[in-house]
Order: sequence, then C-alpha cells, then structure tokens
Amino acid sequence: MQMQIDRTGGQIAMSGEFTFTDHIPFKQMVTEILAAPGKAVVIDVSKLDFIDSAGLGMLLLARDEAKKSHRELILRRPSGQVKRMFAVTKFNTLFKVEE
Amino acid sequence: MFGWKQSRAAAARSPNPEPPAPPLVPDSVSKQDELLRRWMSFAGMQQRVIRTLVGEIQQTSAVVETEADSLSSRFQRLAVCAGQQTERVESLSKLAIGIEVDGEAVAIDRIAGLLEETLSDVVEKILLLSKDAMSMVYALSELNANVNRVDSCMEELNKINKVTNMLALNARIEAERAGAAGAAFRVVAGEVRELSGATQRLSVDMDAELKAVTEGIANGHATLQRVATIDMSQNLMAKDRLEVLMNALIQRSGNLTEVVGEAMKEAEVISADVAGMVTGIQFQDRTRQRLEHVVDTLRVVDEALDELKATTAETIDAPVVETADDNEWVTAMLDRFTLGELRSRFVAQIIEGKQPVDHGEVAAAPTETGTVELF
Repeated sequence: MQMQIDRTGGQIAMSGEFTFTDHIPFKQMVTEILAAPGKAVVIDVSKLDFIDSAGLGMLLLARDEAKKSHRELILRRPSGQVKRMFAVTKFNTLFKVEE
Repeated sequence: MFGWKQSRAAAARSPNPEPPAPPLVPDSVSKQDELLRRWMSFAGMQQRVIRTLVGEIQQTSAVVETEADSLSSRFQRLAVCAGQQTERVESLSKLAIGIEVDGEAVAIDRIAGLLEETLSDVVEKILLLSKDAMSMVYALSELNANVNRVDSCMEELNKINKVTNMLALNARIEAERAGAAGAAFRVVAGEVRELSGATQRLSVDMDAELKAVTEGIANGHATLQRVATIDMSQNLMAKDRLEVLMNALIQRSGNLTEVVGEAMKEAEVISADVAGMVTGIQFQDRTRQRLEHVVDTLRVVDEALDELKATTAETIDAPVVETADDNEWVTAMLDRFTLGELRSRFVAQIIEGKQPVDHGEVAAAPTETGTVELF
C-alpha cells in the first residue's frame, strides 16, 4: 500500500491493498496527522483496491484515536471491494463515509 | 302425398275408361266401404309407425340414460379429482410461503431476517476481533520497544558494574601497597568488590529474565500476527453473498406464491365447473319422464286405433288388404333417413311388419362412441 499525507489539509490518501503488513506505517501516519491541528481527519480511499479484516480493524483503532483527540475520522469515496466491505460491515454507522 | 287423391283423379283422367260395372250395391255405399278399407289399412300402417316410434323412443331414452349415467360417473370422478387437486394446490401454497420447523410454520422472509441478524452479529464480532487483534499487535510492539529500552539500560548497568569492579580491584591493590595503614581501606575495597559481584550476578539473572520476556513477547507477537493476518474479508463477503441468495429465495418464494395463488383460483373454478356439470348432467331424469309421457300417449293412440279398427271392421264385409300405395309414402319418408341402421329397423318393422326389438337389449349394448353413426 502507498500512503500520502497532507498534514495541513488533515488528509491521508491510500492506494493499493491495505492489509496487516501496513500496520506500522499506517499507525505512524495516523499519529502524525492527529498531532497536526485540525478538526476532521480525512482518509481518501478512492484509489484503494483491497482491504482485509486487519485493515478494517486498523481503521477502527484510528477512529478511536481520533475520538481521543476530539477529531472526526472521515472515509472518502470508497469503491469496488472496499465499498462492498464497508457496506457489509455497515461502516457508515461507525464512520462518516463520503461518496 | 299419400296417393289417395291421385288414384281418384287418375281414374277420372283415363281416356278410355272402362264402363263401370253395374253396381250391386248403391254407389255411395261402395265408396264409403272403399274409404273405410283404405282408412283401416292406413290405421294399420299408423300403428306400426307408432309402435316403431315407441320402440325407438324407448331405445333412445335407454341409450341417453346409460350415456348420461356414464358421463355423470365420470364427472363425479372428475369432481373428486378436482377437489383433491385443489387441496394439493392449497398444500403447495403453504409450502411456497415457508418451511415447517418444530411444527411451526416459518415464513421465508422471517428466515431471511433471522439469517441477516445472525450474520450481522458474526460480522460485528469479526470486526471486534480484528480491532482487538490489531490493538494487541500495537500493544505488543510497544511492549517490545519498552523491553528493548530496558535491555539497553541493562547494558549500561553492566558497563557501570564493570567499572565499579575495576575500581574495587584498584582500591584493593592500593590498600595492599599501603600495608597496615590500608587495612580499613582493604575491607571497604573488598566490600565494594563483593557488591559489584552481587550486582553482576543480579545483572546476569535480570538479563536472562529479560531475554525470556523478550522471547515471550516475540512469540506472542508472532502468534498474534498470524491471527491478525488471517483475512476474514471472504467471511465478511459471505454475508453479502448469502443476502443475495436470500433475496433471490424470497423473490422466488413470492413468485411461487403468486403462481400457486393463481393455480388455486383456477383449481377452484375447475371444481365449481365440474360440480355444475355433475348437476347439469342430471337432465336425463326429466328427459326420460318426458319420453315416457310421449310413449304413453302413443300407446293410447295405438289402443284407440285398435278399438276404432275393430269397430269399423264390423261395418264392412270384405277384409282389409294393404296396397302398394300405402307403402309408397312410408318408403319415400324412409329414404330421407340418414342413419342406415335406423332406416333398416323402420323398414323391417313398418313395411315388413316385424316386431320391434326389445329396447332392453339395445340399452345393454356398449355405449362407447362406436355406437354413434357419423355422417
């Protein structure tokens, strides 16, 4: 998976496949973006092709971390398998999912 | 038609009429006798026609009754079958709506609801498990970093201990050089060396313990990593597939219910129609009664003719002899018959004077469609 962080815009753009092996860089990115000032944190998943259950777990942990900082975690434009996984797990009830 | 007028007219038109024989009796009496004989001959023909018609009517009535009974039986069997078919369709209707579990009917949409509920619960637990597994992975990584930091501290401690030990050794050497004056200093140097040795042993023990903890964390981390890397996405997607299947099942159940509902209505219509036909086929009772009245009437007429013939015969001298003219109109009438078998019977009974066949025998004959003459 590749990630690009925009600290000033409070956004992380992910692409490729998000699996367990990405947990260390993902945590670092989340820690960095939460350290930067701002209201909401946006994770752009429009170019993410695949997400596994570990990836979903990491997003949930990131949401908990954001809550601790009184920030909202927004998932933007999921598509394909990612969108279906979000639908099956009813992620829209846990996150703000922007289409 | 009957030739009576023609015979008189023909006699009138004859170019060389034979001179009439001198009448033995007055002319008007002779004509009356002739007319009476002709009438009696015609009455005899009428009686044979009446008897033949009576036979035909009875035979037809018997055939109609037999066929109607047969049809009625068939329709009744059809009514029973239609009723059974309606029950089967009704039973199918119940099957289409759902399944029976422990004697309780469970609708397909309720099954889908229960399945959705169960699968949602499973999905929720998988998510929780994934989240907790990743949380533990992060915690163990953090713990591992802490242990590494402790390990670094231990290395620092060992370095300090080595320096302390060296200092104690140097102090002991200096104390030996000082001789008696360094006796007290020798004791302190020995104690410091003892302390350094104890610290060294403790450091070795702690190092061993720390190594065990590090290994334990590494093993736990590896195990957790194996758990966390199990991709449950396919299991999550199973819910998606099952939902699609259940929706298809609900759709099919709906379609089936609709079709069975229509079949049910049609089966009821068929049952009602068949029941109506069973009732309708009872017409033969009234037909038989009507024909019996007709037969009775004809018989009365026949008896009346018998009586009239007997009375008339007393008034004329000569016996009544049928002439060819009497049969002509009957023959012309029979020529119009299209049923050969009926015509043969009429010829035999009316012209040849044979007795009518007992209608009971005819009625007992097979009543399949083979008895119907097609033309």
